[in-house]
Amino acid sequence: MGRVLASRAIESLLIVLVLASLVFFALRLLPGDPATLVLGDEASEAELARVRAVLHLDEPLATQYARFLRGLSTLDLGDSFRRPGTSAMARVGEAIVPTAELAMIAVAIGALAGIAAAVAASGPWLAPRARVWVERGLVGVAAAPLVAFAPVATWALAARARLVPLPGDPDAGAAGLLFASALLAVPLGAHVGRIARAALAEVARAQFLVTARAKGMAPLRVWVVHALPAVVGPIVTVVATQLGALLGGAVVLERMFERRGLGTLILEAYATRDLPVLEGAVVAAGLLFALAQAVGSATHAAIDPRARGVR
Amino acid sequence: MRRMNARRWLDLTPLLVVIGASAVGAAVATAPAGRLDPAQAWCAPSRARPLGCGEAGVDLAALVSVAELRAVALAVVVALVGFAAGTSLGAVAALVRGRFERAVERVCDLVQAFPSFILAMAVLSAVRVPSRVALGAVFALTAWAPFARLALAQTRVLRDAAFVEAAVALGRGPAGVLVRHVLPNLLGVVAVQLGSTGAAIVVSEAALAFVGLGPPGGVSLGGVLDQGVAAMLRAPHVLVVGSVAVFATSAAMLVAGKAAEG
Repeated sequence: MGRVLASRAIESLLIVLVLASLVFFALRLLPGDPATLVLGDEASEAELARVRAVLHLDEPLATQYARFLRGLSTLDLGDSFRRPGTSAMARVGEAIVPTAELAMIAVAIGALAGIAAAVAASGPWLAPRARVWVERGLVGVAAAPLVAFAPVATWALAARARLVPLPGDPDAGAAGLLFASALLAVPLGAHVGRIARAALAEVARAQFLVTARAKGMAPLRVWVVHALPAVVGPIVTVVATQLGALLGGAVVLERMFERRGLGTLILEAYATRDLPVLEGAVVAAGLLFALAQAVGSATHAAIDPRARGVR
Repeated sequence: MRRMNARRWLDLTPLLVVIGASAVGAAVATAPAGRLDPAQAWCAPSRARPLGCGEAGVDLAALVSVAELRAVALAVVVALVGFAAGTSLGAVAALVRGRFERAVERVCDLVQAFPSFILAMAVLSAVRVPSRVALGAVFALTAWAPFARLALAQTRVLRDAAFVEAAVALGRGPAGVLVRHVLPNLLGVVAVQLGSTGAAIVVSEAALAFVGLGPPGGVSLGGVLDQGVAAMLRAPHVLVVGSVAVFATSAAMLVAGKAAEG
């Protein structure tokens, strides 16, 4: 298990390194002067030279990259260009908390709802036709793009029914966070539901479940206590593969609900061309993603002995 | 055979309807997409403007029609580039075997699970205004991975097939085996992915435009959604038009991908 986790950790660090390097080189190698991007076309040559010096853009690319890697290893990418005196990573640190909160609640809601739908569609509680409709519903919802349904759902529930706070409401509080997380959880829940339903169908005729039923165990206990632990691997895997999309969805929802977070920080840094913050935010997003993947692998290995020691 | 062709046409129908409706919408529009008419700002759907108006009186029918056509064109081009690059890489990796094969497999897994939306935002920040070419290039960074993963898995089966072994025994080189025997038997399976990749690109383009990283001129489905959210209370029709357009275009791409199934 230790070896699996170590290899996962190395892979995660590699992801962060590749992501950060891609952003570093994109900002410096794509056509256009980064200093002009920061200050605009009207800037004087003296101002441009000052920006190049502050951001070390006047150094050879290899020296800049070595400095960047050094900064990456200590998580110190310099000061925010737009807020001198404030470390870029400090701004990122403030922004990552609400995004992590949103994503974690979404994962919890999505996983629980998906598993509940899969168990409901697998057990004896629903008629065969109703089960088919649950399955079709899961496929349909999984294919629905968040950017298309989230605004309409918000309009219906916030503007029309007044059940949840409107986007941008400063007093939205926990209700606003829960609603945004629930929207973010919808595609994840559908993906989890589809995979869990398929996995439960695989184990449905397993001998241990036949024995449990023969001993007179209640259906809910059979499915939740005995069948679910056997399919936790595919569930954890689908959650891990959906995390990238979840982070992207979090950015869309932060923009829609005008919530502070990593997404709005990236957009703000993009608008003001605050390069250290932009690089820091992308590194932080990569770290958040890598950490979640590692937690997923560890959870899988802890629950399912077959995942230990297997590449 | 005739039934198969009929089914394929049926799968392509939603996409053809979206393209046809958009082309007609763009052709009959009274004003070019994006033209402002402040007197008509947020006007409700009417006979003259069937989908109503958005911010500053922009005609939504013209805007959505052109935005849909451009989104479909971008999605088709990027999906085809990803298909060509990914299929070649996956097939070569499986034929080479060994470390290269394992490395390509792992990279595919990582790229598919990558926070690609955040990567796209970061890379696009390096350009002044994200043109459609820039958007396409960013999407292509990750679009090849699912094709490569499928090609790799399918080539693993094909490389041990009797007809491939016979070709090798008859002295055909690796390039010949790849081009004459592996690729023709691979394309049908890998092409199934074209629809979902195209749909993902339509959605990603809309999402990027929604958060403010859209193409210049604001002619994008995400731009319509952005206007709709801003005027949710005053003009909900804008929101509904944007959502339905994104959903219809991505669903049409998804269904069209089924036409490639054998």
